[in-house]
Amino acid sequence: MTAIAAALPVSPAWKLVHVDGGSVGVAERPALGTSVRVAVWPPGHLRQVVGAVNRELADLDLQASRFRPDSEISGIHAVGGGTVEVSDGLAEVIAVALAAARWTGGLVDPTVGAAICALGYDRDFAAISAEEGTTVPVPVSVPGWRSLRQAGRLLTLPEGVLIDLGATAKGVGADRAASAAIRAVNGGGVLVSIGGDMAMAGQPPHGGWPVLVADDHRQEDRAGTAINPVQVVRLTAGALATSSVSCRSWMRGGRRLHHILDPRTGMPAVGPWRTVSVAAASCAEANAAATAGVIAGAHASSWLAGRGLPARLVRHDGDVLMVGDWPAADGGRLTPPPARMAVP
Amino acid sequence: MEQDNEDRPERVRLAGAGDDYYARQPGELRAGRWRDDGVRRARRVSNWTAAVLVVGAAAASGYFAHAAAAPVVTGATQPGTTVSGTGQKASVTHPVVTSGGSGVVVGQSGQAAAYRDN
Repeated sequence: MTAIAAALPVSPAWKLVHVDGGSVGVAERPALGTSVRVAVWPPGHLRQVVGAVNRELADLDLQASRFRPDSEISGIHAVGGGTVEVSDGLAEVIAVALAAARWTGGLVDPTVGAAICALGYDRDFAAISAEEGTTVPVPVSVPGWRSLRQAGRLLTLPEGVLIDLGATAKGVGADRAASAAIRAVNGGGVLVSIGGDMAMAGQPPHGGWPVLVADDHRQEDRAGTAINPVQVVRLTAGALATSSVSCRSWMRGGRRLHHILDPRTGMPAVGPWRTVSVAAASCAEANAAATAGVIAGAHASSWLAGRGLPARLVRHDGDVLMVGDWPAADGGRLTPPPARMAVP
Repeated sequence: MEQDNEDRPERVRLAGAGDDYYARQPGELRAGRWRDDGVRRARRVSNWTAAVLVVGAAAASGYFAHAAAAPVVTGATQPGTTVSGTGQKASVTHPVVTSGGSGVVVGQSGQAAAYRDN
């Protein structure tokens, strides 16, 4: 324990997780409105890894958070439309968001910002989750991703369009952080999870990184129930992401709302799935596919199978449907296919 | 309403949900080899020398095999969590992270130990 703890930087943000020795080091910190966890082997790399991850998280937050008045995306919204020049980092995040929109046929759409604000998710979630608004939610039309135009660092958007990158930004962040972390060390492997959406880089441990798949990324207990089924998988490459309507819900006008918005209606997605997990080559792709799965409803399994993506879908009653090469057995290996989503 | 904004950059679309839903569906161990090479070279010298080399190599490989199998670090780290490792690649038996919906968390994980700079 001493060796791993001593390897951590002087940072109160990070907390060690099961550090009594062993061949992996694990640490966790709050960031981006959720929790970020890193696992690394050999554990002596933990100091460099959390340093690299810190930098990526800070950059992404400053680029893409719509809850920070000093972020780039808030600056764009303040302009109120037109053509703006953005940083390379934000340009990449937006390019991924548009690629996800194109790939999912618009199921995942970055222009849902105004619609989700109209439902009450207009500030950091921690500030709204405890209150119960009395106003009955009224859906706001979603402009659609085709209303955005991007040419490199130049972004053009119509007046009034608010960009929400929630369906892809965490995935981009996990991809960036894992890549940066493995570049900061010499050998070994790393797994970076941002709110349950994770990417690995380098070599996984023997058999893959063991990951618990559940409704909520805060769950640690691997003993599931019929209504709350969980599964352990071993991720051997790429990334894994889960979208769930069980998390980030709030009350408005006596109605429970959640954060996964259907761009076709401007309202929270309704359908048979409460949780969708997808393995993909990158976390951005997995994140987009998992969100699209929740929104696609009854067509989700065929949509995912058609793209060759291993997926696990959980119905509201707890029934589980496994798609493609998702392992049936607990502890089975999960190996994503090559990249399916084209990002220019 | 026109949606092909890439072709008509002067036009934008502000009304209506995305209606293009589904539109696009559609060996050899190095130690062993070294040992074999060593034996073949020894035979060109003498049978006694070869015998000595065989015994020596076998003893050495046995030693290294034992050393490689011994875990560098082994131990239960939390209730229900066990990790062990070899000098080559980590072996992890219990989940290190959970993939699930991203609820609001402010660092209150039940397994998170307070950081101590020791």
